[in-house]
Amino acid sequence: MNSIAIGRFVFGLARVVAIAGGLALTATVVLIVLSVTGRSLIWMGLGPITGDYEIVEAATGFAVFCFLPWTHLMRGHAVVSIFTDLAGPRFNAWLLLLCDALMLVIAVFLTWRHALGTMDKFAYGETTLLLRMPLWWSYAAGLTGLFVLVIVAAYLLITTFADALAGRRPQAGQGAVH
Amino acid sequence: MSNVELGLWSFPVVLALIFIRIPIGLAMLVVGIGGSYLVTGSFNPVMAQFKSLTQSTFASYSLSVVPLFLLMGQFATLGGMSAALFKAAATWMGHRKGGVAMAAIGACAGFGAICGSSLATAATMGQVALPELRKYGYSGALATGTLAAGGTLGILIPPSIILVIYAILTEQNISKLFMAAFIPGILAAVGYMITIAIYVRVNPGAAGRAERASYRERFAALGGVWPVLVVFIVVIGGIYGGVFTPTEAAAIGAAGTALISLLNRSLTGSNFIEAILSTASSTAMIFLIVLGAGALNGFLAMSQLPQVAADWVTTQGFNPWVVLVAILVLYLLLGCVMDSLSMILLTVPIIFPMVSALDFGLSPDEFAIWFGILVLIVVEVGLITPPVGMNLFVINSMAKSTTLGQTYKGVLPFVASDLVRTAILAAFPAVTLFLVRLLY
Repeated sequence: MNSIAIGRFVFGLARVVAIAGGLALTATVVLIVLSVTGRSLIWMGLGPITGDYEIVEAATGFAVFCFLPWTHLMRGHAVVSIFTDLAGPRFNAWLLLLCDALMLVIAVFLTWRHALGTMDKFAYGETTLLLRMPLWWSYAAGLTGLFVLVIVAAYLLITTFADALAGRRPQAGQGAVH
Repeated sequence: MSNVELGLWSFPVVLALIFIRIPIGLAMLVVGIGGSYLVTGSFNPVMAQFKSLTQSTFASYSLSVVPLFLLMGQFATLGGMSAALFKAAATWMGHRKGGVAMAAIGACAGFGAICGSSLATAATMGQVALPELRKYGYSGALATGTLAAGGTLGILIPPSIILVIYAILTEQNISKLFMAAFIPGILAAVGYMITIAIYVRVNPGAAGRAERASYRERFAALGGVWPVLVVFIVVIGGIYGGVFTPTEAAAIGAAGTALISLLNRSLTGSNFIEAILSTASSTAMIFLIVLGAGALNGFLAMSQLPQVAADWVTTQGFNPWVVLVAILVLYLLLGCVMDSLSMILLTVPIIFPMVSALDFGLSPDEFAIWFGILVLIVVEVGLITPPVGMNLFVINSMAKSTTLGQTYKGVLPFVASDLVRTAILAAFPAVTLFLVRLLY
């Protein structure tokens, strides 16, 4: 596989995972609308969906995990660039390398600890209160986003390193500048 | 180095990392994890903490309101409601001196009522109103300044994502905070309109007039904004009335704005994916900062800095009002270079215990609400203060013929209006607390 194909693969992966998270969020909207409608029609014999809070937590949590790789790839995280804008492009290329290295370290750390947390929840067999849904399910779902984040962070680190060595401007987006 | 000193040193270190363009949430995570190691002398506590901290931060019922409000704002942006709002406001006010700019402010206020984000409000109203303002001969400085300032109404008028985060940090009731933000939000819109009226009298060349619309046209245009009104009443009314939790209200609002854009035929498959991906970026950006704040605050609590700082302020016998003014000025300065949400998450855990130890003659709950609204306003001013104001960049990038320097000049009168309003709200807590006292 050449570098363009790898770039396309990473982009496609992050996008698909982000869309999956978005669909989970959309499903949450539908669930809440149904549950609230049911609650307001108790006099008709309907009722709220049991354990709706638990499903909302699990689904929005899954969505947030899934959104992380896309945001990193699009350079969507909040940064302050007023001071670094004064420096030259070469200096900034190396700063970006530092940033990408830190992000990879933190991504690996978060994934590692979250995976151990998942195994703990699995071993103890903890469940949610009303639905008795095993807690490790939503922990494990979160690992999807974290694994892809590690892939995206490694990919960005390598491309940033190549750009810095070659003295090129970074190709990815410029970030949510504040 | 003592633990408290470690806590104090963490601030310059976080700021230094942020100023070399490390993402804010990432900088807070790195310092939080490193600081915990230095305080406890071992990585074990922080290792144990992160087995569950990521999950409990991301999968949290109280924070689930954030992505849902963001989704609601995205659908509202798609749905053509900004155009309907601007048209309605322009037929009523456009023929006055500076009226088209005032209409843009009014429409921003209306859009702010269904959108919790400043940037989205500025961007969507900019697309609709900038061409119209230029058509009627408004100067580039006034047009871009008006829209950048109007965008801040997105967050001042409830719903507001920043207030949700503040409520969670300080353990306050979101619905009371939303209620308290209402009058200051209206005052902001009125203040901006007065600013425009003064501006066009001082610079008569800066604005033209639109033709007067007939009353038939005016009421017809008003008919176009009823969906906005319905969504606002259901969402905010539901939260105020305790009918829904904020999360439920946000989900219903998202469903409502999605329905409106479906009926307008502006919600298509590809638009929907775009809306999801924009929501994804803003959501992950916010949650990375929230996670970073969790790590940093865990370390700060271990360093005992918050208690020591609070004790220090009370034993010094400072005048509470002097402390308050100093804090607001600090936020204004920080706001020139940082975004509002990061500022709140970085500073409130230290500053809130310090100021709540001071006596302003208010109950603890009332103080928390009043202080939250004041902080919300001063951090929002940061979005429009040169040199780094996100709204200024967004609006300026849309106005091709206007230089950034002109935008900076155009926004300054609005910054002045913000400062006057902050002074009024700080001096008279009753203005902010009036509705809360009346209705609770």
